[in-house]
Amino acid sequence: MLQVTNVRKVYQSAQVSYVALDGINLQIDNGEFVCLLGPSGCGKSTLLNILAGFEGVNGGAVTSDGVAIRAAGRERVMLFQDAGSALFPWLTVEENVRFGLRVRNIPKASWPEVIDKYLVMVDLERHREKFPSQLSGGMRQRLQIARALAVEPAVLLMDEPFAALDALTRRRMHAVLLDIWQRTGKTIVFVTHDIAEAITLADRIAIMSVGPRSVISRIIAPDLARPRDLTDPKVARLFNDIEAQLAPDLARSEERALQQVPH
Amino acid sequence: MAQVGDSEVNVEAAVPGIARPSLHDLWERYRTYLLMVASLLVGFGIWHLLSTFVFNPFLIPPPLVVFKTAIPMLLSGEILADVTISLKRVLVGFVTGSFAAIVLGVLLGRIRLLHELFDPIIELLRYLSPTAMIPIAVIWFGIGEMSKYFLIFWGTFFIVLINTVAGVWRTPIGRQRAAECLGANPLQIFALVVIPSAVPYIVTGMRIAMASSFMSIIPAEILAADSGIGYLLQKSSMLMQTNRIFVALLTICIVGFLADRVFRILVDRTLARFTSLAALS
Repeated sequence: MLQVTNVRKVYQSAQVSYVALDGINLQIDNGEFVCLLGPSGCGKSTLLNILAGFEGVNGGAVTSDGVAIRAAGRERVMLFQDAGSALFPWLTVEENVRFGLRVRNIPKASWPEVIDKYLVMVDLERHREKFPSQLSGGMRQRLQIARALAVEPAVLLMDEPFAALDALTRRRMHAVLLDIWQRTGKTIVFVTHDIAEAITLADRIAIMSVGPRSVISRIIAPDLARPRDLTDPKVARLFNDIEAQLAPDLARSEERALQQVPH
Repeated sequence: MAQVGDSEVNVEAAVPGIARPSLHDLWERYRTYLLMVASLLVGFGIWHLLSTFVFNPFLIPPPLVVFKTAIPMLLSGEILADVTISLKRVLVGFVTGSFAAIVLGVLLGRIRLLHELFDPIIELLRYLSPTAMIPIAVIWFGIGEMSKYFLIFWGTFFIVLINTVAGVWRTPIGRQRAAECLGANPLQIFALVVIPSAVPYIVTGMRIAMASSFMSIIPAEILAADSGIGYLLQKSSMLMQTNRIFVALLTICIVGFLADRVFRILVDRTLARFTSLAALS
């Protein structure tokens, strides 16, 4: 279980101090799929980096199964939007997956089985000898997922992983991810600015307000069966509801971008 | 693909270009080579016309005279001996300089304190070209091999160092964090992620440094040597042998070009997985 209690995050530079997050509270249960939704500048990636242990907090507490998060941990793996730079381009598909097994000193004898299992799960077993540069955007993201799953973490932290993909590939990736989530029971924290994506995926959607002093303004638990069809009136109503709430924030987000506030 | 068979043959017969290559296809296939040969021929042609009709042929000997001068120099082994000695100097200085620069570069790129300590010195010293260092190198090392090794080392070192530091710095933060999540410790991130990510930059730096080494070895040999291509230039100049000077100049062009090609082939053979995929990062 991930527990975020009253978290405050301040970015301090010589001239200005910017309060990015102020009073974030969120509890994420094991096996839950939570989306952090908000326009750019709402601090959702900052919160994800804090959960990953890449960034510290200036107040409040973040714990994973009761233990304070201070650095990257074995039970949490982050997946990045830019798979091209997150993957190791000089390693083949198979070698990318092997990397985590190698650095975690997992016994060599078990490697082939683990690698096969997860390459099959993301449907990349026929491309195991290829290099990431030879893969499509969707395949690269699937490789990132396989590489993360291979070290068998409890939590996947996903930072807009499908935002750079074309719409058709993104829809396919949603189905792939939901299938993997249902089969493996991982906890997933998924950052997105795409309302439809959040509704398609999440057990709960945490909507974040635009900074400074971002908070989680609302948590929605869509009580809808999966797969969720966006033309279903109940789903469409939820979409419009969230969009209406985000509208004023979106305008503020644009203004903020013009002011070049550090984030 | 599986059930094509007949139709594929028909397509081939219908398109005459595939059955019998036309002049156009030949041109498309070999245009790079044809244009390269044409470029060289035109170059030699202009050189010939200029030296025959515009300038004094003694000051600019025509290409045929230069080739005629080159043949006995090649046959007697004179050029080979000079090329060998110059190449050896370049190689020793280049390899040691690159090695030292890579070792220091990855450390400076990784350890901020070290960078802040060394950077001001490097930023000043890198403006001292190998040529500027010749007078002091002669006093320190004499006109023997060591002074040439030192000068090439000097020139190579700063170029490769700056590129190595840049390569280490530009390792995507996401890649390092991904490795950290997967369980890599700081040393593993450094060795297994940062250094491989820097390889394309290091190789680029080495290519530039190699070209620069071929430029620096010449003044070094002109001013402080009794052998090598630079010395051949100097000796021929004293004797007013412009044709031999041109042979030496042409030799520098060819040897430098070939060395770069060999370097690229070696890199492709050994480091292809690091360099050919640089576009991705």
